[in-house]
Amino acid sequence: MTPRRTKDILLYKTYAELKAEAQRNFLGFLWWVIEPILFMLVFYFVFGRLLGARPEAFIPFLLVGLVVWLWGQATITQGASAITANHGLLNQAFVPKVLFPTVIFLKNTFKFLFALLMLLIFLVAYGIEASLIWLEAIPVLAVGGLFVLGSAYLACALTPFFPDLQMLIDNGLRMLFFMSGIFYDIDTLSTSYKAVFQANPAAVLIDSLRSILLAGEHADWWRLGGVLVGALCVGGAGYAIMRVNESRYAKIAF
Amino acid sequence: MPRSPSEGRPPLLSLASVGVCYRRRRTLRSAGKLHWALSDVSFEVMSGETVGILGGNGSGKTTLLKVLAGIIEPDRGKVERNHSSISMLSLQVGFLPQLSGRENALLSSVLLGEDRTAAKRNLDAIVRFAGLEECIDDPLATYSSGMRARLGFSVAYHTTPELLLIDEVLGVGDEEFRLKSTAAIKELIKSDRTVVLVSHNLPTMRELCDRVVWIQDGESRMVGPAEAVIEAYLS
Repeated sequence: MTPRRTKDILLYKTYAELKAEAQRNFLGFLWWVIEPILFMLVFYFVFGRLLGARPEAFIPFLLVGLVVWLWGQATITQGASAITANHGLLNQAFVPKVLFPTVIFLKNTFKFLFALLMLLIFLVAYGIEASLIWLEAIPVLAVGGLFVLGSAYLACALTPFFPDLQMLIDNGLRMLFFMSGIFYDIDTLSTSYKAVFQANPAAVLIDSLRSILLAGEHADWWRLGGVLVGALCVGGAGYAIMRVNESRYAKIAF
Repeated sequence: MPRSPSEGRPPLLSLASVGVCYRRRRTLRSAGKLHWALSDVSFEVMSGETVGILGGNGSGKTTLLKVLAGIIEPDRGKVERNHSSISMLSLQVGFLPQLSGRENALLSSVLLGEDRTAAKRNLDAIVRFAGLEECIDDPLATYSSGMRARLGFSVAYHTTPELLLIDEVLGVGDEEFRLKSTAAIKELIKSDRTVVLVSHNLPTMRELCDRVVWIQDGESRMVGPAEAVIEAYLS
């Protein structure tokens, strides 16, 4: 497999999947923005209005959390079934398995960047001042991206061998969603649980982005460093498992 | 005896006592069971020749093609490769109904191992061969199954691996295209391309293959000149 062929497959397959997704319904790629907004409206209504427990500037607070969460969640869930979903293809031609979750990651990252751009425009319109510190979001997102990609690699590598993992991943992510401080501020929790919640990589990423974009403060790089180390371990393990088992996946009957 | 161009060169591909084993998935209620689809297969493929694989249903022909294509690795035995590229003539690889015929042709070519520039260069020829000039930019979802088959065939036909694997010389599409595609594959096999061909059709084997490998119950029973092996197979 030459690097050139790898690049061609990544490029074409990502483009094809993005386009196929955008063609599936009338609003097409607008859904990349509408989805987080609809999510936001639900949480705004339930927590902001009905329960009345809301941090300051609740809408931007929610949107930052949701946009990041949806990026990771979609990539990891779809990544877990990336090999099974391409079962037909991998029985017809040799394609390195690691390309399948990578395509999923690239597809969702493209959608995420589009949603993020809309979010930044919204923040400025909302009255939050754009500043140079926003540039610090780039390395934060790079760490986040590595973590998302790494988790997708590991999920993708293991799920074909242990199909029950898909259920565990779906349910685990649902639980993590409520534990990641997306619609509440983890800092307001009682101290005994706080450390556990703060160790969650999703919470670290969302927290860091909120500091940078909403408060204009620096991210906590020690915690992000921890996420980076975790990302490299998880992703490295996933990558290694896929390489070692390269030609076993085609033999599994799905 | 004429000197063959491959004389003295190592075979493009050689298999020594290759076996492949499948395991059924374990569930709460059933234990995984082992099944050896191939147990002991040995033969070589030389540059420029056409090798036929002959065998009844369930003899392991499809599994063997997957081993040759590198899609699965054998669980025992050895495969030695001296070729730059190999692929199966597979139809409609990676097709997505939402994309246009043109986009699908490009995607499928790249997945089958062509590089981007070659895929783009071949595009006109692919469209022309499939006879889809009128609707190549329409979404694949609007194509009839015959049109899809024609596009799928044309894409696969235009890939150029050093070693080509073919599972049955079957034409696709309507009567006219079926004749055209069958003739095209036969032409391709007769050229100096290196081909491994799986077929049930003995006259086709006789016509196209230099040598034949007879597979039975996962073992290579006999390897040799086409005529001799087919005779032994029939008796």
